[in-house]
Amino acid sequence: MASGRGRIRFNVGGKIFETTATTLANAGRHSMLGALLDDSWNPRQTVEGEAAANAEYFIDRSPACFAVLLDLLRTGELHVPPNMPEKLLYREALFYGLLDQVRAALWGPFDGNRLQLVDSVSGRAPGDGTAIRAGPDGGCCVAHGSMVHVYDWMLEEHRPISLDYQQVNDVGYIDAESIVITARERLGKGDGGMGVFSSSTGELRHRFRVSHYDQVKSFTAGALSFGSSDYKIFASCKGRCNEYGIGVWDQITGQQADFFYEPPGCSLGDADKLQWLDGDKCLMVATLFPRTDNCFIGLLDFRDKGVIWSWSDAGTSVSLSLDEKRVLHAIAIEDSRSICVVNQYDDLGFIDLRSNAGGVRWSSRSKLTNRKAPNEESCYPKLATHNGQLFSSMNDGISVFCGPEWVLTSTLRRSYGGSICDFSIGGDRLFALHSEENVFDVWETPPSRFI
Amino acid sequence: MSAQKKRNFKIEAFKHRVDLDPKYAEKTWKVLEHAIHEIYNHNASGLSFEELYRNAYNMVLHKHGEKLYSGLVTTMTWHLKEISQSIEAAQGDLFLEELNRKWGEHTKALQMIRDILMYMDRTFVTSSRKTPVYELGLNLWRDNIIRSSKIQDRQLNTILELIHKERTGEVINRGLMRNITKMLMNLGTSVYQEDFEKPFLDVSASFYSGESQQFIECCDCGEYLKKAERRLNEEMERVSQYLDAKTEPKITCVVEKEMIANHMKQLVHMENSGLVNMLVDDRYEDLSRMYNLFGRVTEGHRLIRDLMTSHLRETGKQLVTDPERLKDPVDFVQRLLDEKDKYDKIIATAFNNDKAFQNALNSSFEYFINLNSRSPEFISLYVNEKLHKNLKGVNEEDVEIVLDKVMMLFRYLQEKDIFEKYYKQHLAKRLLSGKTVSDDAERSLIVKLKTECGYQFTCKLEGMFTDMKTSQDTMQGFYASQGFEAGECPTLAVQVLTTGSWPTQSSAACNLPAEILGVCDKFRAYYLGTHSGRRLTWQTNMGTADLKATFANGQKHELNVSTYQMCVLLLFNSADRLSCKEIEQATVIPSQDLKRCLQSLACVRGKNVLRKDPMSKDIAEDDIFSVNDKFTSKFFKIKIGTVIAQKESEPEKQETRQQVEEDRKPQIEAAIIRVMKARRVADYNNIVMEVTKQLQLRFLPNPVVIKKRIESLIEREFLERDEGDRKLYRYLA
Repeated sequence: MASGRGRIRFNVGGKIFETTATTLANAGRHSMLGALLDDSWNPRQTVEGEAAANAEYFIDRSPACFAVLLDLLRTGELHVPPNMPEKLLYREALFYGLLDQVRAALWGPFDGNRLQLVDSVSGRAPGDGTAIRAGPDGGCCVAHGSMVHVYDWMLEEHRPISLDYQQVNDVGYIDAESIVITARERLGKGDGGMGVFSSSTGELRHRFRVSHYDQVKSFTAGALSFGSSDYKIFASCKGRCNEYGIGVWDQITGQQADFFYEPPGCSLGDADKLQWLDGDKCLMVATLFPRTDNCFIGLLDFRDKGVIWSWSDAGTSVSLSLDEKRVLHAIAIEDSRSICVVNQYDDLGFIDLRSNAGGVRWSSRSKLTNRKAPNEESCYPKLATHNGQLFSSMNDGISVFCGPEWVLTSTLRRSYGGSICDFSIGGDRLFALHSEENVFDVWETPPSRFI
Repeated sequence: MSAQKKRNFKIEAFKHRVDLDPKYAEKTWKVLEHAIHEIYNHNASGLSFEELYRNAYNMVLHKHGEKLYSGLVTTMTWHLKEISQSIEAAQGDLFLEELNRKWGEHTKALQMIRDILMYMDRTFVTSSRKTPVYELGLNLWRDNIIRSSKIQDRQLNTILELIHKERTGEVINRGLMRNITKMLMNLGTSVYQEDFEKPFLDVSASFYSGESQQFIECCDCGEYLKKAERRLNEEMERVSQYLDAKTEPKITCVVEKEMIANHMKQLVHMENSGLVNMLVDDRYEDLSRMYNLFGRVTEGHRLIRDLMTSHLRETGKQLVTDPERLKDPVDFVQRLLDEKDKYDKIIATAFNNDKAFQNALNSSFEYFINLNSRSPEFISLYVNEKLHKNLKGVNEEDVEIVLDKVMMLFRYLQEKDIFEKYYKQHLAKRLLSGKTVSDDAERSLIVKLKTECGYQFTCKLEGMFTDMKTSQDTMQGFYASQGFEAGECPTLAVQVLTTGSWPTQSSAACNLPAEILGVCDKFRAYYLGTHSGRRLTWQTNMGTADLKATFANGQKHELNVSTYQMCVLLLFNSADRLSCKEIEQATVIPSQDLKRCLQSLACVRGKNVLRKDPMSKDIAEDDIFSVNDKFTSKFFKIKIGTVIAQKESEPEKQETRQQVEEDRKPQIEAAIIRVMKARRVADYNNIVMEVTKQLQLRFLPNPVVIKKRIESLIEREFLERDEGDRKLYRYLA
């Protein structure tokens, strides 16, 4: 049998495979197959070229999985036979160092209008979930009471992070390996606050400290936000001696970098939502469920410690009626220089960031036809943006809005689990957490295929 | 019956867990450890990658990642200690080569080890936040080799020594150097900087400080700069050849500091070869080199500029105050222009047309041109000369160039009004004598003056041109109205000049001969008939006449003379001999002018149509004149010029100066009034400042004069002093 140039033969677990060097080049040098064929491991090849070409590489692994992965290298597509468990394939892909290729073949770049429901994962935790957050690599974590359950991109559950019965307020990923958790302080214990945990082992890596006038104080940390360009972490903080404000830490050193004390008239320590705006180099703070004051949304500039823009419902809440539109969630859209808000009727509203005096311009086009009275089981609506698309959760579905006028283009809904209490977009996936049953949905964009 | 043997049941403990071979991890590690040894011993051909990879995989899978990792660190460290010994043992020149060779081997081995442990890198290393294998290998190399006490200093000294050798002209192995610096870079920027770059910069600094000292003692400035430039280029080339690109600004900064910044004062002032000599000798190449090199250090250009300025001012001052130069105004201006051209060229070719240098040049010229109060007059004379005759046959573009250059000098003048005064006089002479070469050139200069100084400055000059044009039309109209009658009388060409536009010369009209007077009266009648309410006076001192003369020997000539001369000559139609006194009585020509006029008629060789008795240069009242019968000339047309001083004589100069001062008074007063009208109240200093600003386009008013004008305005009750604060002035309206 004359083997042509660049042909390579494998014996995987007793079964012979033949392929070409070009196909294997798709695996990359930093994969097991790339190293196997590298010159440094085949010193004779250059001397006796022909003989080496006929040589057979033995690999002591499952031939069935190898066939699937070889097909992936040949075509860029992944076809898993029905009798092959996905986890088995993933394990083999990890052995060969081909997980990245597998992941790329599974789902494509995120597009809100092409999402498909790929999985619904049931957790074992009782009670309502607090929050769900998507990780940068396609994994996610779900906060329930004092526990955070961590899933990797294969949706395999890792060891949960347990906070010793402290209530978790917010979670977020620094990177695929590190999860930041903010927790409520328990009176008399001096714990709570905020820490970084390993997503794979669940171990506490670092605790963030807050010091006021060179004195370390315990605190309750609320909403989180991450600065992408300067590696900062922001969190709303409530200290015991009225030390309310926004704390800032360095992601790399973990040290406190700054503290923005709450100025009168702006509630920052109770904030429900923080969002770092990279273009404007400022932080959006939204306090929508205040205990005493009015709803407040503001933009903070940390360089000169100023509130450069703010909005409050102080004027409008004079006529307290049930029908009054209350702002329940807010998100800044930097490109259109506005803040998008949503009310209890799932109406979208917009506040112009360019003027300081403007009120909420409620959008009638996105108003839902079946406006029903807020029922007993519904959750508060949430908002998110991704690549110029706006997402809004309502009851048991998520609406996708596009374009400069924010036209409703898609709705994501499934039949069970109850209304959606939180959702998150990241790692090219959308995760939606339901409130009635402890289950979350995973939505992906299918990879674009030829033909 | 057989006794049944009771057997005790032995219940074995249920093995709920199949233990792996307890020595499994140890065994597997031994295999991997052996492989690592073989790899370092260049014996890897017998190893199976698949087997090793699988073993490492299994160890991680069975939670022996920690053991694998720590084993790797121990084994690699052991090998690096071996390597370090073999490098230490290398003698002399072989040291660096051995280091380089071992580095190559280590990276190769490291890559193979990373291949085997790839699975650990992906899983165990990331989740336990350890250093990845390759990076670990580099760190171990750094700690065990590069920073080991026996190698660190030796390596640094060897590298620095080689660079020193190269600087002194020896050829070194650049490839080896490149590999070594690349190794340091691969180990991290901080390693490169601390273990090489910083000491390298220090050594370079002391090398160049020594060398520059040596150069400056034995080289002249140009030579020194050449050497400095070469050193700079060498260092840049060195960086591109075998150092990190980021080192370039640092090392050039060292060279710049040591070779240029520390010596630049000494360099520019160097005797016989410094900046001044370069400027004097137009050494463009050296100047350009100095400009480029000094531009690299702070204050470098400023140093050149300041020295150039002081030199320029010095030479310029000598030029404009040299009494020899004052004798020839045209040459004086030409020298200024030449100086300007010289420096323009230097700035353009050597100084990259640097705006700051151009400004320095301009301010220097402004400074020294105004040191001589006669500069405006001289510049006007230069223009006169150029537009008078020198531009004949020169094309338009060249005319423009000359005019532009003149304008440039004009811009430097502070007393622009004096220039205007002289220019008007000179222009009037050119226009009236019909000697202007090109109307276009004249007008072009006026347009330039207009753009420079505004409409006011040139409106009178433009009026002069208009007068010339309308005069032509008037004459045509005059002859048309007279018909053929005119042919019998002398032909008359009258230029009607508007009073005020032209430089007024208060001269009493002379007695015109009867022949002319008749035509003149006809013209006066015609002109006053067409224009009502005007007054005509004859400016006989400015006209010319063409006379046909027949001499005793029958020779006929056409004489081109001035009006005064004509008057004198026509007297001889009716008399043979006349004394100077008689002529003066007959013509009423001012005696000063008459003397000049007689001088030109009798004392200039080849043009002496009159004979004077006694034959002397000077004219006395009793001298007798008669027609020179023996006059001969090979020309038919003879132009008899007037003996006039081209330059102004001293009293004339004083007069002009006085007149200018007189003219300035109303301008200064107008400016003061404008300022006060806007301000209502202002103190003395502010008034002076504002007035100076308003007038500087025309001249620089003297504060003393302004003070006097203010006093005068107070007397005339336009202003008053403030009662409380005597420094304040109020506007009264």
